[in-house]
Amino acid sequence: MAVDYDPALIGKVFEVTDPVNVSAEDIGKFCTAISETNPLYTDEAAAKKGAYGGIVAPPSFAVTFRNGRHFFTHVPRFGRAGFDAGKDVEFRAPIRPGDKITLSSHVKEIYEKTGRSGSMVFVVVRSTVQNQNGEVVAHIDHRFMNRP
Amino acid sequence: MSIMKFDAVKIGDTLGPQEIHLSKDQVRTYARTCGMDVPRFTDDEGARAEGLPGMIAPGNMSLGMLSRLVTDWIGQSGARLARLGTTYRQPVQPGHTITLNGFVTHVEPAEKRVEIDVWIENEDAERLVIGTASVEFP
Repeated sequence: MAVDYDPALIGKVFEVTDPVNVSAEDIGKFCTAISETNPLYTDEAAAKKGAYGGIVAPPSFAVTFRNGRHFFTHVPRFGRAGFDAGKDVEFRAPIRPGDKITLSSHVKEIYEKTGRSGSMVFVVVRSTVQNQNGEVVAHIDHRFMNRP
Repeated sequence: MSIMKFDAVKIGDTLGPQEIHLSKDQVRTYARTCGMDVPRFTDDEGARAEGLPGMIAPGNMSLGMLSRLVTDWIGQSGARLARLGTTYRQPVQPGHTITLNGFVTHVEPAEKRVEIDVWIENEDAERLVIGTASVEFP
């Protein structure tokens, strides 16, 4: 099967999301949700003496920001709905309470693979997570698997 | 707990194992906290309607647990998780006991960087999620 898509899509950023405010409470709730107890993320007094000089979010908080509602209308689909196949995250800077986070995403690559269960098409969406200072917090490559 | 030093890290050092009995409530809490409030992550029947065996944990939650395994190992050493890659091979289902595992596969003295293999396995030692992490020491 040939993977058919418009090559002009690759690399195109359709929109940058509105900033999302991160509060200390948001970080606290996230820590509860992943049973996080590390004082660097949960205890202001202990975190002050740590490597970041105050509470920061656990690294995986960076993957919880969402693309704009319309982003996926620009992403080609192959066959049935995409399945979350995995993520590759490069953590560049910590997220702190008070940060305003934006996400800009594009399709990085599309490729076909044949496994034991047949043919699959992978769509890789790369998101750049930035804070209010324009500092890149994380790059996320998100692989979606489609079965034609 | 003593503070880990880069020079003491060796290939084959292990992370975990951390055993977790993953409850449906924990998965629902994660999904709701992270704006992923959809049936496959919150309700067995809704998940079955999508062709799944029952409720599953979001991939991001698995990534979060593996990230925590690494940051627990880092402790207060001042090292940082620089990269984490995950591959979701089979669904992680609540109501089961899962185990988080890892071991050091490479130590790069020039950059004070450590490479780690991480994974989540079920009761039958099947690796549901596999991944690799890079940790940088100060």
